[in-house]
Order: sequence, then C-alpha cells, then structure tokens
Amino acid sequence: MPRHFELELDQLRTMLIRMGSLVEEQIDFAVKAMTESDVALARLVIERDKKVDEFDNAIDQHCMRVFALAQPVAIDLRLLMAALKINNELERIGDIAVNLAERVEPLLPYSDFVKKTPLREMATAAREMVKHSIDSFVNNDPELAKEILISDDAIDSFDRETFNFMIKKMKESRDNIEPASHMMIVSRHIERLADHATNIAEDVIFLVNAKIIKHHAYAPDSQ
Amino acid sequence: MNTNGYKIRTHGLSLSYGSKLALNNVSLDVKPNHVTALIGPSGCGKSTFLRALNRMNDLIEDARTSGEVLVDNINVYREDVDVVELRKKVGMIFQRSNPFPKSIYDNVAYGPRINSVHDTKRLDEVVESSLKRAALWDEVKDDLTKSGLALSGGQQQRLCIARALAVNPEVLLMDEPASALDPIATAKIEELIYELKSNFTIVIVTHNMQQAARVSDYTAFFYLGKIIEFNETKTIFTSPKEKQTEDYVTGRFG
Repeated sequence: MPRHFELELDQLRTMLIRMGSLVEEQIDFAVKAMTESDVALARLVIERDKKVDEFDNAIDQHCMRVFALAQPVAIDLRLLMAALKINNELERIGDIAVNLAERVEPLLPYSDFVKKTPLREMATAAREMVKHSIDSFVNNDPELAKEILISDDAIDSFDRETFNFMIKKMKESRDNIEPASHMMIVSRHIERLADHATNIAEDVIFLVNAKIIKHHAYAPDSQ
Repeated sequence: MNTNGYKIRTHGLSLSYGSKLALNNVSLDVKPNHVTALIGPSGCGKSTFLRALNRMNDLIEDARTSGEVLVDNINVYREDVDVVELRKKVGMIFQRSNPFPKSIYDNVAYGPRINSVHDTKRLDEVVESSLKRAALWDEVKDDLTKSGLALSGGQQQRLCIARALAVNPEVLLMDEPASALDPIATAKIEELIYELKSNFTIVIVTHNMQQAARVSDYTAFFYLGKIIEFNETKTIFTSPKEKQTEDYVTGRFG
C-alpha cells in the first residue's frame, strides 16, 4: 500500500479514537444528568449527538475511499472492516446516550426514586466496558478485549436485578408505575451499552488475530 | 495422478546459475485442476521454479538442478524422461506472446503436425477446438489464413494458449501471461484461466498481486529462492501467517 494510504489508515485510527472519547463522555454526561436531574446537561448530550453523526459519516467515507483506491489486503483489510464495524457500534452507543438524556426531563418529578435505584453502579460498570473496548482497539490488545467479553454477564445480572426491583416497586404503589417503567427502559439501554462494548471487543479480536468469534458463549477460561 | 492427489510435487528442488543459488531446497505440492500462483519480488526465483517444472532451465547453459520434480509421481529429471513429451504434457505460456510467423491455422496446427497428424479433417477439428478453448475462435474464425502476427497483443497471447492446448497438455505453466496486455485483454486471459482450470492444472507466475488474488486458488510466496508461505489464496490475502508475507502483500516490502 503506498505510503499516503498508510497515512490515511493512521488518520482512520485517530478518528475512531476521537469518536470513542466523545461517546464515552456522552455516556458519562447522560448518566450524570439522570442521577443529578440536570436538564441542561441532558440537552447538551442531545445536541452533541450531531458531532457523533459527523464522525460516523466521515469514517464511512474514509473507509470507502481506501477500499476503492488501495484494494487493501490482510491486516489493512481487517483494519478497514473493523473500523466500519466499530464505527457503527460507537454510533449506536452515542444514540443510547441520547436515549438516556431524553429520559431526564420525564424523570424530574421522580428524582428521589431515581437516586434509590442501583443505576449508577450499573452505568459505571457498562461505561468501563465501553472504555476498555475502545482502549483494546487503541492498543491492539486482544487480551483486554477478551476480558470485556467475560464481564458482559455481570451487566446482564444488573439488568435482571433492576427489572425485578422495579416490578417490586410497582407492586408496592401505583405512584411508582411511571418512574419504574422509565427505569426499566433505562436499565435495558445500559445493558445494550455493554452489548455494544462486547461487539467492539469481538471486532478487535478479529482485527488482531484474524479470528471471528462472534455469537459464541464465553467461559472465563476459554481461549 | 499421485496417489496422494497432487499433480506436481517438488522435493528439495535447488537450482544454481553458475555460483548463484536461485532456488534453495524448494518443496511444493500442486493440486490438480486448481490454479496455483507464484508471487514474490524480482529475483525471488518464481520464474526459475516455474521453468524447472518442465525442464526449460535445461536450455540455460550454466543452470544446475538438484532435487526432484514429480509429475504424476514420476521424477521428470530422470535420465530416461523424454523432455519433448514432457513439454507437451506440461505446456508453457510466456510473458511476451510468441506466435510463429505463420497463419493462425498453421500456428495451432504446428504441434499436431509435428506429432504426425496430417489428416486435414482431424487438423481442422483440433484447430477449431483449441481456438474455442482459448476463447479466440469467434474473433478469428472468418479468416484463419491471417498471420498470427497481425493479431492484437491479447489475441496473440490467446493464440499461444490455443497452440499449447492443441497438443493436449495436462498442465499449463504461465509466466506473467498478461503483463504485456491492457486491462481488457488481461481480463479476458483471467476469465480464460478460470474456465480452463476445470480441465487443466495451472501454475501462474505473476508480479501483480491483485491478479494472483483474482485468479488463483493457492498462492506461494517466494523470497530469495525459498517459499516463505504457501496457502489458500484467500488466507494469504486475509490473514497470512508470516510477517514477510504480510509485508509483501500489503506493499510494505523493501
């Protein structure tokens, strides 16, 4: 591949890293806005999603150009394929941040209720998975990627716990129905965040090891 | 056919031109009815290796060959091997097409004629079927008396393929068959290779990696007279095992 295309591949990595940082921050802000009932912060998250979309488009265009003009093979080909997939996952993560931010206003009357849920802990765990998945890409680290695959189970547990907690709350009082419904959806969004992080981790493993490991169950000592 | 299913096997094949070692202990197995591509930088030995398969290197004065080349389980370097018969069975197409200064018909009929086929009807059949199999018949059938040299580059190359096919080879060795051709003529040759492989075993040397990727089933990467990696083409171009191979196919070599 001619040198100027190698530089384009470097640029591609940089764009993905910057997009990763942006969506990580969007998640942080969205969770903060929710737990602290911060409407202004929620609006910022919604507004900034435009930037996430801009990255999405720019990365897609960039990849298409390199595919067409450089006919990449081997590791270059895998980088481009991984970039397209990771781009897609990051854009979805950005959408989740918006979904969370959009719940802030409807949940304003229920700030006490929100504060009592184990939301923050679950959100932190999911956010760490997202961060590590992006780090595994930045550092070409399939070992870190594998660890992420295993931690998805904990998030699924949190989600089930939250669901059961909300059912309990709804049974306790009709007044809890509205906030509990919102929180079940919020919990599902956060569980989805973790899924996207595992998808990114799988894409990193594909990129580095040229192994496709999607759709497998993971045991702690597998691979 | 070898009992283990390979058309050609080389064992420890080495070749020197004088004191220069061009092939260093090369062992390769070529599957029948598949296309095997040989890639590598200039001077890596791929063309030398190709020529060794039908003993074309015998024509080079200071070339010394050791090791074995088995075609259908018979070592072609044995004393009692008829080299002319070998070269009918294992035909060669060169980079620069070299039709004889004769008519199209006589180019293709040449091989059968020197093999004592003189019956006109039989020759007509062989010429037609060879030109058809080389995807040239439709373009030349209206005037087979035209000189082979009056054809375009791409047509000349297909004429050379027809000529090779006329003597019923089992293997076709192609040394950069499309490198002197424009993209359309190249595409026609590549299409032809794809069609031919169901009836022949093809080994092709190419310096064009995209071509190797497009036409071949297996690829051997040569460097400094050795095979660095040999695998299914899709693996060489998606996840090669050796760093040198990866550096070469991604264009980072040298």
